[in-house]
Formats: sequence, structure tokens, C-alpha cells
Amino acid sequence: MTRFSGDLFDGVTSRAHPVTAWIEAGRLHIEGDGIALTLPLDAIGLAPPVGAARGVVHLPDARELHSTDLAALAALAQALPSRDPERWARRLESRLGYALAALLVSVLVMFAGLRWGVPAAAQLAAHTLPAGLDSRIGRESLALMEKISFQPSALPAARQQALAQQLAARCRQQACPPYRLLFRHSPMFGANALTLPGGTVVVTDALVDLAQHDEEILAVLAHELGHVQHRHSLRLALQGIGAGAILVAVTGDIGSVTDLAAGLPSLLLQSGYSRDMEREADAYALAWLNAACIPPQRFADLLGRLDKKSSGTPSLLGSHPGTQERTGPFQVAGDCT
Amino acid sequence: MTPTKHYPMQFTGRGGEYFVIWIVNIALTLVTLGIYSAWAKVRTLRWFYGHTLLDNQAFSYLASPIQILKGRLIALAALVTYYAATYFAPMLAGLFLLALLIVMPWIVVMSLRFRARMSAYRGLRFDFTGRLGEAAVIYVLLPLLMLPTLGLILPYMAYRQVRFIASNTVYGQTAARYQGTLKPFWGVYLLAFVLMLLPLAVVAYGFFQLFQLKTAGIPAEAAGAGVAGSIGLGMLFFYLMLPVVGAMIMARTANLFYNGTALGPVGFQSSQRARSLVWIYLSNLILIALTLGLFIPWAKVRLARYRADRLTVTGPDDLGLFIAGQHQTSTATGSEMADLFDLNIGLT
Repeated sequence: MTRFSGDLFDGVTSRAHPVTAWIEAGRLHIEGDGIALTLPLDAIGLAPPVGAARGVVHLPDARELHSTDLAALAALAQALPSRDPERWARRLESRLGYALAALLVSVLVMFAGLRWGVPAAAQLAAHTLPAGLDSRIGRESLALMEKISFQPSALPAARQQALAQQLAARCRQQACPPYRLLFRHSPMFGANALTLPGGTVVVTDALVDLAQHDEEILAVLAHELGHVQHRHSLRLALQGIGAGAILVAVTGDIGSVTDLAAGLPSLLLQSGYSRDMEREADAYALAWLNAACIPPQRFADLLGRLDKKSSGTPSLLGSHPGTQERTGPFQVAGDCT
Repeated sequence: MTPTKHYPMQFTGRGGEYFVIWIVNIALTLVTLGIYSAWAKVRTLRWFYGHTLLDNQAFSYLASPIQILKGRLIALAALVTYYAATYFAPMLAGLFLLALLIVMPWIVVMSLRFRARMSAYRGLRFDFTGRLGEAAVIYVLLPLLMLPTLGLILPYMAYRQVRFIASNTVYGQTAARYQGTLKPFWGVYLLAFVLMLLPLAVVAYGFFQLFQLKTAGIPAEAAGAGVAGSIGLGMLFFYLMLPVVGAMIMARTANLFYNGTALGPVGFQSSQRARSLVWIYLSNLILIALTLGLFIPWAKVRLARYRADRLTVTGPDDLGLFIAGQHQTSTATGSEMADLFDLNIGLT
């Protein structure tokens, strides 16, 4: 190995001693004005070099050898007995092609993690968490919505009861998740139905008015029961945490300048997540309607009317897949047995 | 009196060089499910330290990735507990924040100490000797007084923070002194206050017009449409002013920090300018957004270069006169807690 020059610091004062160093017969030799050191290689540690930044060789007794000769330091790293786990990083950093591959891998892993990893983990977590948890969250969100977006239903009590009894009757014949049905008037939500964590299903007066047949309402309720069955509300909350964790893991070292940019993708992802959940709830509704001997067409009818009505007004279609795409599976004769 | 020599601080790193390190760090962090992030942090800091030169000698970062990893795991456990608590039991989250408030001084001191002890120059380590009691006053008690004093405590708080960090820093055996006074901090925050008043004045003028139009008998809706412009403009002005004021405070505080600090025979001259920092921040932000984040390495390098360019060390002809202190160990937990909870300690 060729000789390389550097500065030796003795760890006692801040004085730099210019030295020459080389490896010979498995030992590091350092020579300078009044300095002659011979050190076994296993007594020295090299802070793995990063880029073109200066390298530091740690010697016993808090002494340090600094050098700008990066090639010599790389050769020294090769000669050291201890294997340094950062050599992989250094190899990847050494070629632009590898770096571009790293970029590609980063994007792919991030995408896959957010698209599939987080929902899968959230589903697992939602099914392990105790049921009491979502009921409590549901109670709190209902209390909040009662204040800001709900008014008591204007439907006659008899009508409300009749609809509730129809659903209850169906649920005696086939399995339904535990639910609680509420009717509310809400100008903010328009014709809509929503499911809160813990199985509370809220139907707005406008939706009941829009329906031309009670079975249409039951079809929507079947869809909402799908959300209850799959604990979607809780999963959505958990996915928010998961996506946040991934973004923090990636951008954590970067600093606040990117917080703005990081918020946007997570918002887009949330809407993507809810689309998957709508599909899941639709699939549940289709099976439920068939089992209950209700023509699936009822669901398509109501969605079609909602779609026409909601030109521009916010509704449950907002975060839903296209109506055409959704109603396709429902426009078939029911296979009622 | 010994003759003073000027040593400019230099930053020699290049954006392209850092980009490669940065992207490899991210890729390895992702494929190792975050475990590599400790190595990533150490490599990043070693790169930045190794490119920061004073008197043609580089700084060195000494922490080992394993130390950082342990600290991160503990901090992550705390963060997960906190997140779970806020989502599922807001009451518990409140208790958790209270607990965080109580351990806050410890986190601050540990964090500053870890960072100092893991930094070295010319083979000598830095150290931080701040005490828990003073940290409790500065980082818990004074912030609690913000509301009752209507923010008038702010300049004093900033002054105490700067003094706490500067006067407790030790290089080798040489302890730093802070000679700055409170007065200039009042200047910084008064200027910030005035700058923030400007957009608010525009908004207030809009509301005043609204009131006038209404009393003149013009229907509320028409009057609202008439003045919506000036109110909207005022709000836009307000949001544009926030980063400007933020950068101004940062630049001036950094100057007050360095210019008031002396380390034995060594003094500092920092001359950061608010308008340059505003420009760097805004243009970085725009370029990062346009490149979907790929500009981040260049943005960080630009900032590091500007800060180094604006810092000069004055000292004797020979900087080799400092003597080593005792070598001590320090854990990374406090430092990582502070990182994860996004506590802004010190002057980055």
C-alpha cells in the first residue's frame, strides 16, 4: 500500500500533527515530526467514508487520524479485519446507475407499502383490537355530528319504525353484524347514509324520500352493513396512522420544509383507501340482497337516481367509484333461492 | 493582546454528491422497514460534518448507528403510545402530554448533550453542561407564561434559550461564555410583530369597510361581495408573511447566538441576512414541490453552504491550543425523542 498523508490529533490538545501513514505487515504505521506509531489493525476503527467528506480514523487513546486521501482510506477500509455494514451503502453510492435503481426501489416500496401494506396491516389490527374500542369512538363522533351536522328526523315515527322492523326482520333470517339504525335530517349530507365506528348506521331523511321502494332503502342499508361487517371506519382511522408513519419514516430526516408536500399524497391515498372499501361493501350488499331475495337492481336504481340528483352537490358518491362501474354487478336478476 | 486572525467557515459538499447518499439512505431505510434509518442519520451527519471546514480541518460526527437505533426504538415506542392514546382515548393523550411536559427538560438536556458529545473538531469533543432546573424554567415554565403575558415573554424566552445553549457549550476543557444581552431580542420580536400587523391591518380595513357599507344600509351579501377582495388579499398576505417572519427570526437569532458567544480566545461573527434566508427557503420550497421532492438534497446543501459562508471565526494565529476534557458517554434517547416529537431545540 502506498503512503498517504494526513493530520494526527493526539486527543489531548487540538493541535494537528502532519503525518505520513501506511500499512505494512498487517500494522498501521504513522510517522511525523517526533511521532512514530505502529498499531495493530484490530485496534483502529475507521468511520466509514461518506461521499467525498473527509475520513476519520479512530486510534486508541482517543487519537484521530484525518485524511483527505479518499482512495487511501478506501484501501485502509479493505485492509481492516472488522466488516463494516455500511460497505453496501458505499457500493450503492459509487455508481449513478445504482443510485437511480435506489430511487426506483424507493418509489416502488413506498407505493406498495401505502397501497397494499398499510391496508393489510390496518385490517389485521382492526380485527385484533377489542370491539368496545370502536363503539367508544363511534359514540364520540356521533355526539359531535349531532351538534354540527344532524337535526332530528322529520319522518313520522311510524315510518321510521316500519323501516327499522323490515331490516330487523331480514336480519333474523340471515346473519347481520350488530348495528344500530338512526334517522336524521341533515342538509349538509343531503341524500346519504353513513356508518360510524361501532356499527351505528345513520340514514338521512332525504335518502328515504328519494327512494321509490322500501327495498331500495334496504339495499343501501345492506351496503352500510358491509361497512359495519368489515369495520371500515376503524380501518380508515388506522390507515391514516399507518400512512402517516411511512411518510414520517421517509421524510423524518428531511425536515419541516417537506411537510407541505407530504400532506397531499396522504390525502390522495385516503380517498383511494375509501374506494377499496366501497367495493368491499358493495360485494357484501350484493350477497346480502341475494340472500334476502331482494332484486339487486334496487341498489342500482337508487344509485342512478342519486347520481342524477347530485350534479355538483356533495353526496356519498363523492368518494365512491363511478356509478356505472359500481352498478354493473347489481343490474342482474337476483339469484334468490 | 494576541493578534486576531479570521477563519472563514467553509462548506464543501455538493448537492449531486449528497443526492446519491440521500437516495440510497431512503431506499435502504424502506427495504429494512426503517431499521437502516439509524445508519442513514449517521452517514448524513458524517457527510455534513466532514464537509464543514474551519482552518482547513473538518468537524467529525462520532455517534455509532447502534446508539441512534436504540434511542429511536425507545422514542418510537413513546410516539406510538401517544398516537394510540390520541386516537382511542383523548383523556389518556392529555395525561401523556402532561407527562411529556414533565420529562421535557430531561429530553432537552439529553438531546443537547448527546449532540455536543458526538461532535468533535481537531480530535477534541464538545460537551454540554446545562442543568435540568434551568431547562425546566426555559422550556416548560416560560412557555406556560406565554398566554398570561400575551406573548410579551417571547423575547426573554428566546434570549434565555440562546444563552442556555451557548453558555453551556464546552469544547475540550474550554467553556463558552455568552455575552449577549436581552435588548436585541426585543428588536427581533418587535419587528416580527410589526411585520405580522401589516397583513392584519389589510384584513381589519376590509372588515371596517364591511361595517361601513352595512351601516349605510347596503344588504349584507352585496357588502360582503364588495369587500371580499381586500379581506382575501389580507389573508394571502398573512400566509406569505409567515415564512418571511420565520426566516427573519431565524437569521437574527443565529446572528445573536454566534456574535454573543466566546470560546476562550475564540469569537464568532455571523452575518446571516433575513432576505437571503427568505429567498433560500421560498425557492427551495418551490423547487422541492416542482421536482416531487428530488430537490431536497440540493436544498439542504444550499442552506448549509449559506450558513457556513456567513460565519467567521476570529481567534489566535494557532487554533491548536485547546485542551481535551474528560471523555464521557451519553445515550441517544433524549436526542431521538426530541427529533421524533419535532421539538425545535437550539439553532439548526
